Amino acid sequence: MKLTRREFAVGMTAAIASMSLPRLASAQSSLVVPTYGGLWAKFWEENLLPGLTSATGIQPQLDVGLGKDFVAKIRAGGDRSPYSIFMGNENIAAVLRAEGFFEPFDLAKVPNAAKTFPQFINKDAKGIRAIVSPIGLAYRTDLVKTAPTSWHDLWENPEFKGKTGLYQIGNTGAVLFLRLVAELFGSGPDDFDTAFTKIKELLPFTQASWSGEVATALIRGDAIIAPVDWTEIMTLQDKGAPVAIVAPKEGVLAFEQSFNLVATGAEKDAAHAYLNYILDAKVQQDMAKAFYTSPSNSESVVDDALKARTPIVGPRMAEIKSYDWDSYVDKAAEIADRWNREMA
Amino acid sequence: MSAVEAAPRVEGRSNRGSTTWMVVPALVLLIGFFALPYLTIITMSLREASTRAVYGEGFTLAHYTTALGDFYIWGILGRTLLIGATVTVISLLLGYPVAYHLAKSRSRWTSLLYIFVLSPLLVGLVVRTFAWMIILSNNGVANQALQAVGLIDFPLQLMNNSLGVTIALTHVFLPFVILPLLGNLQAISPDLAMASRSLGASRMRTFWKVTLPLSMPGIQAGTILVFVLSISAYVTPAMLGGTGGRTMSVLVVQYLVDNFRWPAGAALAIIMAAVAVIFVGLYLRLTARAMRRLP
Repeated sequence: MKLTRREFAVGMTAAIASMSLPRLASAQSSLVVPTYGGLWAKFWEENLLPGLTSATGIQPQLDVGLGKDFVAKIRAGGDRSPYSIFMGNENIAAVLRAEGFFEPFDLAKVPNAAKTFPQFINKDAKGIRAIVSPIGLAYRTDLVKTAPTSWHDLWENPEFKGKTGLYQIGNTGAVLFLRLVAELFGSGPDDFDTAFTKIKELLPFTQASWSGEVATALIRGDAIIAPVDWTEIMTLQDKGAPVAIVAPKEGVLAFEQSFNLVATGAEKDAAHAYLNYILDAKVQQDMAKAFYTSPSNSESVVDDALKARTPIVGPRMAEIKSYDWDSYVDKAAEIADRWNREMA
Repeated sequence: MSAVEAAPRVEGRSNRGSTTWMVVPALVLLIGFFALPYLTIITMSLREASTRAVYGEGFTLAHYTTALGDFYIWGILGRTLLIGATVTVISLLLGYPVAYHLAKSRSRWTSLLYIFVLSPLLVGLVVRTFAWMIILSNNGVANQALQAVGLIDFPLQLMNNSLGVTIALTHVFLPFVILPLLGNLQAISPDLAMASRSLGASRMRTFWKVTLPLSMPGIQAGTILVFVLSISAYVTPAMLGGTGGRTMSVLVVQYLVDNFRWPAGAALAIIMAAVAVIFVGLYLRLTARAMRRLP
């Protein structure tokens, strides 16, 4: 068959249009929910989304990535965000909030918010930190003689000198640690000068971009102690690695997954229903079992077996140090630059 | 002009028309996926910074002047170029003998060597880099082996610096210098070397005076590929470089993705691209001049 140029051009246009139209149509009619890879994506695909569909009738599309990818997509989307609901660490959510991409939730549409520990609901419902992964001090049980009990041990126990692992500044874990150190040694979580001075005392330390890299450093023995989340350490323990994690007496940090209503999203009612389902007591319990998060719903039941592995639950949720990130947004770039230059 | 002379010219014009049409899809692709994104990045790099919007309302050159006046950025730029140049030179030194052997060999084991050459590309980048972490870390295979044979008492710092990045990038990009060289060496007629030998030149003199000069186009293509790929690599420097081996790509991604500083990150990306273009341009001129002087 011979095609003229015109026929070829028309055919190609039609083919491209036919490929893109179903996507456009589906984007307009259903909720897109972002989540992370690995255990998270598995749980969303096998458990959470089927459960949501049977409870609410909503059939969302899943988008797997990193919080920072979701930020880029919302920013690039302008007034037509691909998401109606955002999930990401609270310090990252604060960036989009400052830029005006979010609007408050209508808590009347999120009944489970009433059962959520109040410390995880931002002022005026501008974001709810619905999934909480506590960060403690993890260490190698075979290489550490004196198990840590306090964050101060990082500075005071000579065993840890030169053998500490920390997140690099691009990871939320690093900024959380920075604010903790500012609080422990300085005038408060915004005393960054003191925090930098104290953290520099820990040099040289291994820096890792994400929890899996911290875990690798621990397994290799390049680091024998590191602040890292329970999820990572419990997963390593399940594989038989000689690691343990403790909640320091001053309190723990946490990766707090902040859910926010995107002002330019098209599915706001579905977004409310999705968040309500995420906050459900049973769903929070299932998440704790799947990847060792701490249920944010005060009515979630945690059995003794799970409590032995995930101790920061129930009343102990008060040990989690939650910081306000809205004021941090203006300093974030300067602090990242300073970390790069000084922590080498 | 006779009809016989005119005929090919008419046919040539017609051919030019059809070949021009054939360029259009690639041109559309280049404009759509290269030129337009670059224009967007340039525009972004000129926007004012803001923490209350993706970027400010006005335009400014501040991101360029700040970056170009910052010794820290210059240091990282210099390190990036040094890593690129080192990887390129080592890859050429290691790759040339392999390509030469592959081009000349008639052994049945040659296909196995091909697989070895391509093997770095058969494994995922992240997996491959993790393997290097296991080898190069303080408690890794390399340090344990050196300690076991008594060559060192304390672990050497083989990663979280430029050394680790250079080693891993050389491994990854070695095929990119071997393959163009191989094609080039295979295209050199063996009669030339035989003629040289028959005229009394030694094996070494034949190589220096005949084979090496004729393989310059392959060297040029392979080294440019490796240099450009090395200075723009992200995953390997991000995973093995740590703070001591941070390169411009890592810094750009940190600005854009970690810190959400799109205008400043875009300016760094443009600076990096401009420097790469200048270096590759200079290299092309130098090598082209060298090739013109060949016997």
